[in-house]
Amino acid sequence: MILNRGTAGPRWRIRPDGPGKVTGKLAYLTDMAAPGMLYGFVLRSKYPHARIRAIRTGRAAALPGVHAVLTWRDVPGLNAFGIARQDQPVFCFDLVRYIGDAVAAVAAESPGIAERALELIEVDYEPLPVLDTPEKALAEDAPRLHPHGNVLHRCEYRHGDADAAFAACAHVVEETYHTPRQMHAYLETEGGLFVPEPEGRLTVYAPTQHGLLDRLQLARILAVPEDRIRVVSSPIGGSFGGKDELNIQPYGALLALASGRPVKIHNSRRESVRSGLKRHPMTITMKTGVDASGRLLAHRVRIVADTGPYATLGAEVLNFATEHAIGPYRYENVDVESVSVYTNNGMSGEFRGFGGNQVIFALEGQMDRLAERLGMDPWEFRLVNLRRMGDPGPFGQPVAQTDGALQVWKALKESPLRREREASRNGGAANGMADDRGAEHPPWIRVGFGAAMVMHGFGLGYGIPDPAAGKLRLAEDGKIEAIFGYEEFGQGLLATIETLMTETFGIAPDDLRIICGDTDRVPDSGSSTASRTTAMIWQALRQMEGTFRRKLLETAAGLLGRPAGTLRLGPGGVTDAEGDKPLVRYAEIAAKAAEPIQTETHFHFPVSDTDRIGAHFLYSYASVAVKVEVNLLTGRVRVLDQHHAVAAGPVVNPQGYVGQIEGGSGMALGYALLEDAIMENGQYLTGNLDTYLIPTIADLSGNVAVEPIEELPEDDPYGPRGIGEIGSVGLAPAIAEAVYDATGVRANRLPIDPALLICPPEKLWKAVSGS
Amino acid sequence: MIGRTKPLDAGHSVCAFTLNGEPVAVAAPPSRRLIDVLRNDLLLTGTKIGCEIGRCGACMVLLDGAPVNACLTMMYQVEGRRVTTIEGIAGENGALNAVQQAFLEEGGYQCGYCTPGMIVSATALLAERPDPTDEEIIEALSGNLCRCTGYGGILRAVRRAAAIGKEAESRA
Repeated sequence: MILNRGTAGPRWRIRPDGPGKVTGKLAYLTDMAAPGMLYGFVLRSKYPHARIRAIRTGRAAALPGVHAVLTWRDVPGLNAFGIARQDQPVFCFDLVRYIGDAVAAVAAESPGIAERALELIEVDYEPLPVLDTPEKALAEDAPRLHPHGNVLHRCEYRHGDADAAFAACAHVVEETYHTPRQMHAYLETEGGLFVPEPEGRLTVYAPTQHGLLDRLQLARILAVPEDRIRVVSSPIGGSFGGKDELNIQPYGALLALASGRPVKIHNSRRESVRSGLKRHPMTITMKTGVDASGRLLAHRVRIVADTGPYATLGAEVLNFATEHAIGPYRYENVDVESVSVYTNNGMSGEFRGFGGNQVIFALEGQMDRLAERLGMDPWEFRLVNLRRMGDPGPFGQPVAQTDGALQVWKALKESPLRREREASRNGGAANGMADDRGAEHPPWIRVGFGAAMVMHGFGLGYGIPDPAAGKLRLAEDGKIEAIFGYEEFGQGLLATIETLMTETFGIAPDDLRIICGDTDRVPDSGSSTASRTTAMIWQALRQMEGTFRRKLLETAAGLLGRPAGTLRLGPGGVTDAEGDKPLVRYAEIAAKAAEPIQTETHFHFPVSDTDRIGAHFLYSYASVAVKVEVNLLTGRVRVLDQHHAVAAGPVVNPQGYVGQIEGGSGMALGYALLEDAIMENGQYLTGNLDTYLIPTIADLSGNVAVEPIEELPEDDPYGPRGIGEIGSVGLAPAIAEAVYDATGVRANRLPIDPALLICPPEKLWKAVSGS
Repeated sequence: MIGRTKPLDAGHSVCAFTLNGEPVAVAAPPSRRLIDVLRNDLLLTGTKIGCEIGRCGACMVLLDGAPVNACLTMMYQVEGRRVTTIEGIAGENGALNAVQQAFLEEGGYQCGYCTPGMIVSATALLAERPDPTDEEIIEALSGNLCRCTGYGGILRAVRRAAAIGKEAESRA
């Protein structure tokens, strides 16, 4: 069934944060101001690679209205940050390694004064050779960007002997795929307010995807105990992974403490582009062979990722890419090697899809090419090798078993878009010269169909701390508090918690108070990343539900003088089996309870019984079918129609589910057709949204159908699977296949270059005249 | 960084205009950006800032009813005119207008940062064309970027807002 407002019925709810968003009343953290507030600015490197000879700040510090000028000398603790490894300097002191590197920061009474002060800071640089490709960085005589060299991480996986197996293959396809430096382009750029508090405390109001981890990182930098820092991190104007790592927080925090005044930082878009994370550009070479029946005998993959100057989660992204380059297929022999390389380009890091987007573009491209060699339908070819229930994961590891791969394969096979494709072929309309209603297109418009499979692991994977937690509490005022350390960056966290709480306990939205995004109040629930939060909240509630209900009912039973077994929770208070009105209200229970009514749970994200770092235990599956139109005069591709089948267990929040798949696919459309933050000599050639084009409503006005497949094996204990990322993965390879279907041009590089698709006019002329 | 220009002292230069139905006079040089006056001086932060070059539409406001980017509008252009921001776009007695209601019902937003600008643009469209075609909706919203929704919910919301408007009209 297609999920939408109509089919979801009453479960399609107005989000609790909706009214504040449509009226403009909801204050984002970058909307905040405080009396006596200063403006913080960061001086970033002039060169992509240079030695720092000297930094002189005297003239800037002497400028009236300037309250603090900071460099590496002013960092009381660790002058470095990074979620996984701390190799990014807060302030550079010997080397700058990319154009976004921070060298100094100022706080002043106005933005104008602060910008003037930046100009007065004198830095003597000695420019060094710019390593602007992984190949240059891997050369033997390349300068070392870090003491351990220019390789951040290598990963490999093998079973069997792929090289030997190619000899036995009936068909072998070898192709190198290139993927772009995609920008998150959240509409709210990085920023926040940093407020010194009494008793040496500091409050940080700044977006992040893991408040407690920001607190830990800031405590190391500031050399203060963690409990001296409070991080308030929601609401957020979009993140997509891009605000997971620290960005402006170290500078705001240091400036606030140095000046003793509140400091506001709000990046301009140019600053955001220059300093912020991007999706790793990857070069992926795949050699894949089949026997005459289509069975995959050998799959050899080489991945080179440009991780930029510092680690953040570059190693983890590479592990993910290595795993997902194998994907949902069975092979006799597999051989994957991957490397993530430091360069002087922009920072690469965590971004929705986490390395899957790149390799699945390549993997699905291989499947389409092999099917063609075999003379098979590309979707039927996938079925030959598709994983089945009971198969191990891509690394051979034990996984939670579902039939997701086959479910989404079948759903796509039966989708209207697939039937339309069949009809267009049976009608004999070569390259889709006519649409489903038989309408003729002008000869320069070609229609094509494509499809792709996605298997996407969620959670951080084996070997990485991945805690989960939650807390339920009847507050003094009678509100039932649901407390989770997760962040609302737009995905619908609050709506999901509200839905789960009201459906689990039968309470009304008004009975509920959701607390998140505040490190003073939340347990360590882990990060709001890796498509994990909905699943973790669901699992936490399963663990807490019984205890919390029992405590509430027992207290109510005491107050009412009736057995707890005859009572249940309802809107407004505790009622009996028949009652629609509360017999005792939650506020009264709270006032009269002898001891606090609360429960808390801490657990770990379920992991595979393996020793393979990063290997996943839980997966979601998706298939994507797409219909495109290519204009041979302009080379432009229009996406007309999409069908997404997603096997991810029960739908928790219908509106959020549709939104994640539609929104993710919008991002994937940009990835396939528009987006690349091009760099040259370590400099961005784009600085704002006039030259970095994300899709507009005109690009995304086509139809998008979202078909959730909720069925899980009967004894499955894990509940809803993650869907935050999977929608952003499959559309790009599906578009590439559809473009091939329409034009006969195979794209091995994203975004697809319109120049490849423009047909010389004489060919068109022949098509028009029929000769 | 927001607020590039420093506000002048009161009395130096005064710009008088109508803001959300109320007359206001603010001390601001003629070349100060409307976005800075709204966000920094008047603390009306419903108008967002995303690119500062008129590309993203997060700062869309109505100037005499027509949508403009507040980051590209200087105070001299506002003198004597009517400015409507998201804070002033609601219906009578602060009730949500049809566009706001439809965005809520259809889920035409996620992070919500583009939403005020989106609603301002859509409200301007429906004021001019109460029953727009999809092409007209696309044209009217093509200056408003959204990174979260893929625009599906937005398109459905504007269609629904038009339907709500028609219903209200047929009742009247």
